[in-house]
Amino acid sequence: MRWGMVINLAKCTRCHGCVAACRIEHFLPLHLTWPRLIAWETDAGKKLEVSTYPVRCNHCKDAPCVKVCPTGATQQREDGLVWIDQNKCAGCRYCVVACPYQNRTFLSKDKDPGYFPGYSLTGFEKKGKKLYPHQAGTTEKCNFCMERIDAGLANGLKPGIDREATPACVNTCQAGALTFGDLDDPESEVSKLIREKDGFQLHPEYGTDPSIYYIDGKLCGCVSNKAPLEATTGSHIQHLSTIEDRAKEIFGAGVGGK
Amino acid sequence: MQPTRQWMVTHKWMVEPMQQTEWIERRGVMVWLAEVFTSLGAGLYLVSLFLNSWWGALIGWLIICLLKLPLHIIYLGKPLRFWRLMPPFTNAWRTSWYPRGVFFTVLFTSFAFVQLVTTYLINNELVLGSALSSVVAADVVFKILAGITAVLTAMYGGFMMSYCKSVPFWNTGLVPIVFIITGIADGLALIMAVGMGTGGIDITAVESASRFLLVINAILIASLLLGASYQSSTAQLSVKELVVGRVAVAFWLGIVTLGIIIPLLVSIVSLFAEEASTNLLIFAIASHTLGAFALKYSILKVGIHRPIVPKVSAY
Repeated sequence: MRWGMVINLAKCTRCHGCVAACRIEHFLPLHLTWPRLIAWETDAGKKLEVSTYPVRCNHCKDAPCVKVCPTGATQQREDGLVWIDQNKCAGCRYCVVACPYQNRTFLSKDKDPGYFPGYSLTGFEKKGKKLYPHQAGTTEKCNFCMERIDAGLANGLKPGIDREATPACVNTCQAGALTFGDLDDPESEVSKLIREKDGFQLHPEYGTDPSIYYIDGKLCGCVSNKAPLEATTGSHIQHLSTIEDRAKEIFGAGVGGK
Repeated sequence: MQPTRQWMVTHKWMVEPMQQTEWIERRGVMVWLAEVFTSLGAGLYLVSLFLNSWWGALIGWLIICLLKLPLHIIYLGKPLRFWRLMPPFTNAWRTSWYPRGVFFTVLFTSFAFVQLVTTYLINNELVLGSALSSVVAADVVFKILAGITAVLTAMYGGFMMSYCKSVPFWNTGLVPIVFIITGIADGLALIMAVGMGTGGIDITAVESASRFLLVINAILIASLLLGASYQSSTAQLSVKELVVGRVAVAFWLGIVTLGIIIPLLVSIVSLFAEEASTNLLIFAIASHTLGAFALKYSILKVGIHRPIVPKVSAY
């Protein structure tokens, strides 16, 4: 069993619902965000085009953050989830620097000034401090709502199918752009989507094997859902020395050309 | 087709190549200083071992104990959990250079302490008779152990950085080699200062070794930059930042001029004048030490992450 997510880039409407859902689910401090939504405009000729990528911890199969963590605070479970034991983290920030996807955040004190700085904590914040205490001086990241997954599994529910056992961001996505499930199960929804729509991972050349796949994306008018399957061979990786090369491999020669 | 405007400025670092800040900005300055003192302390200790300078070894040991280690600990988000970084409290040393480095440093400080005591006892003839041979034997053993761990202490930061795949400029085996060679060169500069204070150091010999190492240093740094410029667009960007960008002053003035050219010129002068004047030596030592600060600053400052998403203006 290996939990993973498929993100349909064409369906994402940049509503930030996933970001809000995560904030509420985990009582995230003001300046801390686990899932991120990045978007940028590109001049694609006749009119501007917007590219959007929802990103979060990739829960890599071969996670560099787990390897570099000096205290063993960053751990990987048998189901592939990478999580941080806040009570063990010493705050060295090696994982923040080493994460190839830059999806870790060091929670410094100034990132948690309260939702209304200068005012007393709201009832929501007070409750959050008890239910989900965040420790300043440690590193944080998305944990795929592992509490929901564990509680759901304990109650016989199936993550990705039953809402109670599915990550909050997936439940909230009004466009249905996020799909969650077992990557090891060939019949799961995520496996089907990856197979049928040539799902691709970010930076496959790092060899980290992320658990998040993207489908149906567009970049400057080029369809971006062609999986870089050839990148899995060592000889090909040698030629993918830059993202430009890789982008051309994935999206066609029209991308990045002058 | 170039991006014209980027949305959600808070996450700009995700889209474009962005400089790492954790190890150089704000509290990250402590990592920079700790790395410099690692180089100065371990380098001075190693050189002192070769030149049999007890004072040099003591100062090198003190730099590690009183400057490097405290800075690393204070930098931590949870400084009181520093013990978690050390074996046997963690088994992460199997995969991570960080606990390995902490372990090397702790071993170094322990071995070097014993070596300093045994050498002091021998030098001051405080041990006589049958015990003397045992102390001499222990001195040799601990010199070897402390020497090996000093090399590892000087190098581990380079290995930590070279592991980071997302920072192509660091992601090369040259970084730890640059760290150890510059460390020894820094040690040679400092031992001259020690020698000027305590005597007993052959300054001319140190100058010769320094001359040689400075040339090696220059070649290594040039190789690092040249190799990076072939590696990837992001690494090229790092080189550009270093040579003509925001870090150019630290590079040209700090690394090249103060760290290499001035000490090299002084050592070449001493080649013809047999021994450089004291003032000139002090100037060269100060210049070289400032160069050591500039080198670590520059390398940390131009650590640039590859963008997370493939995009039109690709890196």
